[in-house]
Amino acid sequence: MSEKSTIRVLLVDDEETLIEYLSKRLLRQGLTVKAAFSGEEALEAAKETNFDVAVVDLKMPGMDGVETQRKLKEIQPFIQCIVLTGHGSIDSALESGQEDAFNYLLKPVDHDKLVGAIKEAYNKKVDIQDKKFKEQVEELYASGLGAHGIRKAIAELRKIYGID
Amino acid sequence: MAFERRLLSYAKSMESTSSGSDELRKLAREVASYKVELDQTRKYLHSVLQNSTDMIFMTEVTGLVVSFSKGAENSLGYTMEEVIGRPVRDLAQDPDAFEALMEQCQKDGNASCAGVIFRHKDGRPVDCHVCLMELINRKNNRVGTIGVCQDVTHWKKLQEDLVQIDRLAEMGRMASGVAHEINNPLAIISEASGWAEEIVSDTEGLKPEDRQELLDTVQKINAQTKRCRNITHKLLDFVRDSAPSKVELDVHALLRETVELLRSELKHTSVEVEFDFPETPLSVVSDPRLLEQVLVNLITNAIHAVSENRETGGYVKLTTACVDSKIEIRIEDNGGGIPKAIESDVFSLFYTTKPPGKGTGLGLSICQNIINNLGGTIGFDSREGQGTTFIVVLPAV
Repeated sequence: MSEKSTIRVLLVDDEETLIEYLSKRLLRQGLTVKAAFSGEEALEAAKETNFDVAVVDLKMPGMDGVETQRKLKEIQPFIQCIVLTGHGSIDSALESGQEDAFNYLLKPVDHDKLVGAIKEAYNKKVDIQDKKFKEQVEELYASGLGAHGIRKAIAELRKIYGID
Repeated sequence: MAFERRLLSYAKSMESTSSGSDELRKLAREVASYKVELDQTRKYLHSVLQNSTDMIFMTEVTGLVVSFSKGAENSLGYTMEEVIGRPVRDLAQDPDAFEALMEQCQKDGNASCAGVIFRHKDGRPVDCHVCLMELINRKNNRVGTIGVCQDVTHWKKLQEDLVQIDRLAEMGRMASGVAHEINNPLAIISEASGWAEEIVSDTEGLKPEDRQELLDTVQKINAQTKRCRNITHKLLDFVRDSAPSKVELDVHALLRETVELLRSELKHTSVEVEFDFPETPLSVVSDPRLLEQVLVNLITNAIHAVSENRETGGYVKLTTACVDSKIEIRIEDNGGGIPKAIESDVFSLFYTTKPPGKGTGLGLSICQNIINNLGGTIGFDSREGQGTTFIVVLPAV
């Protein structure tokens, strides 16, 4: 992965005005942003494009934030989710065994804090992904495939990992 | 006994004389056994009367007290001698209403009422559940009225407290609902004004003074939004209940912040808050929100104790120390102190010295609960008229 690649963020919230300003500001800071106004929309988007970080509202009509982030992870296992909530139920969300979100933040979030959290989540994603990628590449080398086979397999892996 | 003995000896003498008096002998034996039975019944009734915690009284036909049980003595504070011969209606807070109940009883043979208030000898009301029944003799004449009354004052109080707790919980739910609803628009205001700030900073062609004016304005919106956020977040923090978290925190900063929270409480008093901290910072691994809740409670109590007892010169002193790898926080006041007699009740659930509606009697018991959950202890040292020191000891790690 090159240092220059921008962070690809998926914003999921039914508050359209919030998403509007949030994406404008994040775009201005050089992030790549895709907006989705529901959990369902977010899943559609995730099927087409790879993201590094998803910022998901907890309470949405239809699919809620916890379910959305779980399903996002099924589609893109390395995606890191930041769950935003307007409610003080951060702890209860954590307690109910949904710890797989990278972070829970209480709305309204200080913009710099959110950007900080997105960057942290991105770093974590890259770390995990690189580690797994290396492991699998090593396995490939150990598997006794020829050079051509290895190259082909690595290209395959890149595709799976969303590394372009 | 004398009567019994006489009967028995008579029966014996009859045996020794002739056989014609068999009937009489049998009769005498029967009477003697009735006597025993009667004695037992009397003993039984007496012990019921003496040992029941209910108030049991009996009046003659005009409503004058002729019998007054131990339970009644305990509940109302009068001795039997003090009430015998007095109209029973005078014991009630509303004698006319009680009289009416007595009349109803005379008419129907019995009557009951769940909310009769009697007056204790010391003047306080005693809430009772009353059952009255008429005492009728063999000739079907009234001989008096029996009353059995249960003191439900304590029970009533518990019920009121429960209603109060319910109301508090409801308020908590409402507050968190409102905070939640406000957080969303607040998030939008915050992002929108942040965006405006960025645009105003970068746009070309603005007059410098206009740019400054716009920037100032947008920053004011930002600052006020932050202020609102602080309020909603604090509110949500306060009503959230969950397992204690473990965070390393600075005890001195926490104490100072807590006192800041209580500034509005302090504004209307002359109470001085003093800090007496060692120079080295003390840290503790605990739940900041729960600790804050306890400290708010203890410091508020201290402020009240002082302001209720002193016009000037009142203080609340916060001291910390590290003793045997434990953190000790002392909250000292020079208020009225806690009377020896109630020391054992201080941490009891629902115990309060405040007037109804002012105190729930929950504060300190919740504090104790929280501190115990955090693995610490809470206690106090008090001298009536001189002040109280509450001591919270927490494990450092």
